[in-house]
Amino acid sequence: MKSRKFAKIRSAAIRYLLLTAGTVIFALPMVYMISTSLRPNGALYEWPPRFFPKPGAITFENFEYILDQKKFLINFLNSVFVSVCTVGLAAFVSSALAFVIGRFRSRATKLLFAFIIITMIIPGTTMIIPQFTLAKRFGLIDKIWGLIPFYVAWVIPFSTFMIKGFMENIPDEIVEAAWIDGASVFKVYTRVAMPLAAPAIASVSIFNFLTAWEEYPWAVTVLSKSEELRTLPIAIAGFNNQYGNVQWGYLFALSVLCMIPVVIIFILCQKFFIQGLTAGGVKG
Amino acid sequence: MITRSRMNRAQIIALLAPGLIVFGLFTVYPIIRLFMMSFCGIKLETMFVQPFCGLDNYVHVFSDPTFGTSFVNSIVYTAVTVPAQMALGLFIAILLNGIRRFSVTFRVINYLPVVTSWVIASLVFKYVFQTEGLLNYFLRTVIKVIPKNVKWLNERWGGMTVAMILGTWKGIGWNMVIFLAALQQVPKDLYEAADIDGCGAWKKFTHVTLPAIRGTILFAMVELTIGGFNVFTSIQMITGGKPADQTQTLLTWMYKNAFSLDHDIGYAAALSFVMAFTLGLLAVVQFRMMRSRDV
Amino acid sequence: MLKKILAVLLVCMMVLPAGLSLAEEEAVTINFWHHYNAQSPENETLMNVLIPAFEAANPGIKVNAVSHEWAQLHDKVLISATSDSLPDVARCDIAWLPEFQAMGILVALDEEMADFAEVSGQLLDSAMSTASIGGHYYALALNTNSKIVFYNVQMLQDAGIEVPATMDQWVEAVKALSGENANGQQTWGWNEPALAGWNICPFIWSFGGALLSDDQTVATGYVNGPATVKAVETFAQLVQAEAITGFNAGDIPMTDGFGMGRYAMMLEGPWKSAELEGNYPDVPYATAPIPAGEGGSISVLGGEDIAMFNTANKEAAWLFMQFMTSEFAETEMAKCGQIPVNKAALESDTVKGASFAPFIEAIQTAKARPTVAAWSEMDNDLQNALYYVVTGEKTAQEAMDELAAKWDTLLK
Repeated sequence: MKSRKFAKIRSAAIRYLLLTAGTVIFALPMVYMISTSLRPNGALYEWPPRFFPKPGAITFENFEYILDQKKFLINFLNSVFVSVCTVGLAAFVSSALAFVIGRFRSRATKLLFAFIIITMIIPGTTMIIPQFTLAKRFGLIDKIWGLIPFYVAWVIPFSTFMIKGFMENIPDEIVEAAWIDGASVFKVYTRVAMPLAAPAIASVSIFNFLTAWEEYPWAVTVLSKSEELRTLPIAIAGFNNQYGNVQWGYLFALSVLCMIPVVIIFILCQKFFIQGLTAGGVKG
Repeated sequence: MITRSRMNRAQIIALLAPGLIVFGLFTVYPIIRLFMMSFCGIKLETMFVQPFCGLDNYVHVFSDPTFGTSFVNSIVYTAVTVPAQMALGLFIAILLNGIRRFSVTFRVINYLPVVTSWVIASLVFKYVFQTEGLLNYFLRTVIKVIPKNVKWLNERWGGMTVAMILGTWKGIGWNMVIFLAALQQVPKDLYEAADIDGCGAWKKFTHVTLPAIRGTILFAMVELTIGGFNVFTSIQMITGGKPADQTQTLLTWMYKNAFSLDHDIGYAAALSFVMAFTLGLLAVVQFRMMRSRDV
Repeated sequence: MLKKILAVLLVCMMVLPAGLSLAEEEAVTINFWHHYNAQSPENETLMNVLIPAFEAANPGIKVNAVSHEWAQLHDKVLISATSDSLPDVARCDIAWLPEFQAMGILVALDEEMADFAEVSGQLLDSAMSTASIGGHYYALALNTNSKIVFYNVQMLQDAGIEVPATMDQWVEAVKALSGENANGQQTWGWNEPALAGWNICPFIWSFGGALLSDDQTVATGYVNGPATVKAVETFAQLVQAEAITGFNAGDIPMTDGFGMGRYAMMLEGPWKSAELEGNYPDVPYATAPIPAGEGGSISVLGGEDIAMFNTANKEAAWLFMQFMTSEFAETEMAKCGQIPVNKAALESDTVKGASFAPFIEAIQTAKARPTVAAWSEMDNDLQNALYYVVTGEKTAQEAMDELAAKWDTLLK
């Protein structure tokens, strides 16, 4: 009995040791990123190189500079707006797709599903040219909300795939019961399927938020009217200039700020997140 | 009864419509246009004149030596980063699955790289691996194991290796989350049965865990393979294709052709479909592989 | 339908007496894309001094100026051109003009603007030559620049070396300045941040070589001629002797390396002074002309032009372009380090006392890179060819012969 307990403690100790070691190595680049954001612009190449800033030389001037500029706040709000709308709309349309595909099995829905999934293998970058022509035709250029339909379309395959698994897993009895009660398709979807699939929709939404939050090539292609009309990734790239003189301090400060919302969302939702995946597309 | 089923059909269509319209318009239609472009001699300069040129663009792709280089680079990148991310992600997930305290802290820290922007992560890695960078300083001056600075980024495989380390680092968190979800679904009694049979940890892993999460492994593998072929920002920022286009990957090479060399959209479109075809083929192989192991 | 509405509008505009105040309500907006860094003093001057002055002088015209990252601006123009969403006016790197002209999106100013000769006459001829393609002018020169030698005074003094005046002295100096510093770190005599035409042309030209024939139609006999090969060989030998670096992905970036005393010399433009002042105010540096070889002391011409696109509101755009190249605007921009091309502005005290005076000297003899549409592809070939020479995988003659053959097919 004693040896068994000992083995258990030993195994837990090994786990914590390995995890701590791994996590420290893992976090090094992040720590370095934060450390750079707390140093003046020219300090990256000082000798000897430093991982942490000199204790006396920590400065918040980079953050002050960024927070002083109204346009970055507007860029930030733009990103929030686009990401939130993308997440909301994608949750609605892909859960509807997933519901129909997952609950009404037929040749047609199977084919539809295969078709949606297969588009994931086409690289998005080349599509910029035909998509731009399309955006122009619909007047979606130079409008912040014009990004949303494209982002929603991009995340549909992955979201539908993840939520579909969950829809399939809803016990038949529950749905049958609703049918017998005379519920319509809409009712089953809104009253039964949606609430049950909520964790899956939520966890997919976290991935979708990140996709929209980070997207750069398309946004930079269609938004050109003013610096207020930009998303955060474009603002970050703006610190690079023609002659390769990067303003390191500002760049890293803005990036650290840019990460904060995503980290907060993950911390708040992470429990939910795993649950949603567990019962969803990720099946054992 | 008839009216009801008709009503249901109408409602099903109404449910599908928003998704299918958005998807059809903004994804499918551009893909079709792109496919047509891959058979046309089309450059940005001559956007409105699109003479049909048959398979010329595809012939051009396969006779271009830099396509060969970038194809090999993409394959190697994928072949290294996908198993590495999955193995490490799974390992961390297994460790995390067995502990109670600080589980959330570890999860969050390990997930942070996933939410870091590619641009910033690339800049950090580039700085660390520079010839005069932090790593060489550490190896040469602090622990004195190398006599001379190693030129990590100056040649093809060095540059690719750094991009692969970055790709792996950034992907582990995603795998950890996915595998953690899968592990929580493995029925506990399977482990208990294995315990009774006197299986060790390794045997439990190979005989219980792996078969139980096979579906997730396949899912992650296909997803990550697509991601691996889409590597772009990190290469662009770390090596920019240097030296002499030897570290180009399929996407960076396609982008360079479309927007900076001769604006050959037809060529870029053809390259995209060659890449899509390769990915499709790989997905089929991966499905087969996992299924045959099943039997 | 849209065309009809436009036609009606047009007729209305013509019929309405000019005195009617309609013009004010329907202000014309000029979209102006540029690549002054969003965080730069140039952008501040543009937004707070120049545009307000222009709008005050031209009521009824508004200017919407947008800063883009340099490479992004280029790509955006290409993509926007495919569906008529170009701005009215853009500040373009002179290297982009041939490409844009080939796309047919630029307006031939000398054909469409009656007072073109008068306006362009106020600008430097050498700078205006960058806007001339196939006998027509597609832009106005906006600012110009060139590169001269920046050297670390301390490092040269410590090594007991004079500033090189000839290419032979340069080779010796670059070698002598390479080695190790007091911290045991490697130092290099010369930094070259890339192997593109912008970087290597000054050497080729100063050695007496050339890239193409004068009419820009033939490469063979020029890019593989003896003087060009000699220049490439000399450069490659210095790279192999670890005396030149900077073009590798793993090298210290130019400004940082020079600022930290790791690179002793470099060839750079006027923007470098402000950069060094901002990031490395303590580095003791001075400037000198590029060393003279058999071909003289010849640097490479850079700079930007201002062009209008064929979808522009031409009248308003032309007014804005004239304003941006006027003495007033050019003098204001000169205060931020932009070298003017307006002759009157060049005579002003601001310019004469500016830190970029030595660059104006270099511009007198500097040459422009080829103005052919295929240049970006040719430039990429050049970089790759040079890479194989500096790594010793090919001899200079071999690589340049191959390059010449490739270029000849591209020029056809």
